[in-house]
Amino acid sequence: MKPDLIHNTSTVFAARARTPGAVQLITLIVFVFVWQMIGAAGSIFAELFPPIMEILQSLWIYVSTPILIPHLSASLYEVLGGLLVGALFGIPLGVIFGSRLSFTQVTEPIILYLAVVPKIIVFPVFILFLGIGTHSKLAVGAIAAFFPIALLTIAGMREVKLVYLDVARTLGASKLKIATKVYLPAIAGYVFTGLRIGLGASVTGALLAETKIARAGLGFMIVEYYGQFRMADMYSLLLLIFILAALANWGMKALFSLVLPLPRSSQNVGEFV
Amino acid sequence: MEVVVKTDTKLVLLRLLLIFAGLGFIEASVRLNWIDRFFLASPLQAVEVLWAQLVSGNALYLILVTLYEIAAALLIATVVGLLVGFILWRYRLIGASYETLLAALFASPVILAYPIFLVIFGRTSAAVIILSSFFGAVPIILNTRSAFQQVNPILLQVGASMNLNRQRMFRHILLPAAAPAIFGGFRLGLTYILKSVLGLEYVVQVGGVGMWLSEAAFRFEVGEVYAGLVGTTLLSMLFLFMINRGEGWVRK
Repeated sequence: MKPDLIHNTSTVFAARARTPGAVQLITLIVFVFVWQMIGAAGSIFAELFPPIMEILQSLWIYVSTPILIPHLSASLYEVLGGLLVGALFGIPLGVIFGSRLSFTQVTEPIILYLAVVPKIIVFPVFILFLGIGTHSKLAVGAIAAFFPIALLTIAGMREVKLVYLDVARTLGASKLKIATKVYLPAIAGYVFTGLRIGLGASVTGALLAETKIARAGLGFMIVEYYGQFRMADMYSLLLLIFILAALANWGMKALFSLVLPLPRSSQNVGEFV
Repeated sequence: MEVVVKTDTKLVLLRLLLIFAGLGFIEASVRLNWIDRFFLASPLQAVEVLWAQLVSGNALYLILVTLYEIAAALLIATVVGLLVGFILWRYRLIGASYETLLAALFASPVILAYPIFLVIFGRTSAAVIILSSFFGAVPIILNTRSAFQQVNPILLQVGASMNLNRQRMFRHILLPAAAPAIFGGFRLGLTYILKSVLGLEYVVQVGGVGMWLSEAAFRFEVGEVYAGLVGTTLLSMLFLFMINRGEGWVRK
């Protein structure tokens, strides 16, 4: 190989290594290497660092056998049910509270202050009312999803410009037409963002509640594995939950971008969720 | 000005009226036996229990433990967040590489990994503090990087024309210009720490107010459960109120 060819190749390689993607890949490789080394050395927290292959094998068992299906279905029921109930309350209330400036000024700060309270602490109340089955976790998921959905719906309603309403009324639009042609397009992006954030909140709320008291579910399994000190199984389950949560988030984004060709940016509105 | 004050006072009164109407309805529902007292304590009973716990010193001690955990997590999150945020801004490639990773990690339900921290730190406040500091550090990191990125280049040019060295440029131009946006991250961080500390205290049954709530639930002490709930809610609201006040002060 000629010296200038070697120089060019190394320059191209160096340039490629200076991209964010390459740095992320290098970080992942270093992370795996360090993990393996610590595990193999066995000097500090050896049990905490099971071999990566063991974690991947466990993950493969989860996805290729029906072992997790009862737990996955329990968690899906709680999370999706929670999102549905949260949306059923959050969207109409958000529309009502956001429909008039005076309503918004009175109610929005109350919702914002309540949104800061960790929703998991309401779990004992739901246990009292609904028992330790899936419904109490569904309720935690619902209350966790409610706040981002309601707050973002209020934010969407606030975006409806008075001039649009005046124009619609001047053109003789009926209440139904105003609702579907003016309000709906204005709030749809916000509501969808609220639903996406609400899904994340519902996942966290319901699964965290499962780790407290449950008979089934992915959160319940995490605590079971922790109790039995099956760290590889626990890590692979956590990894599976993170992957599923990321896929659900990505899927919702893709779905909404199909429904809404020009999604509105409303990332900063749900900062208290 | 007077009109604004009057409008604000009217709004606060309306909000209080709404809250007290809701509480009054719950009080009436319990007293009239529409809802079984086994499930729901009346708001007055909850406040009574909370007051008794505060006077006896029990609740006060638990609140102090929670405040200590929040303060410790906030301190760690602030130091780590500012330092890492600055590094991510200073070295663009590292910043572009890790910002996405941090944001993705933050969006995933990382709190479910709390058993790992229990293995390392045991069932102690340290586990709550360290995991909560992670939730606080991420928004501080992201906001710090973004705050430095958004500093007006004209300000830097003015500093350069005045021959300011690096330290003086940082101290007199970069930091004051970025401070309000950094405080935005600090505010978010504190909010997440608050939620994480109280939530983990309840789930892991360790520490302060959250643990009290969890223990009361196990004993089926309905009055104490609702007193703990009221106490936790008030503590969260008080924090948010103080954060809002603090932000207003920084922005001035």
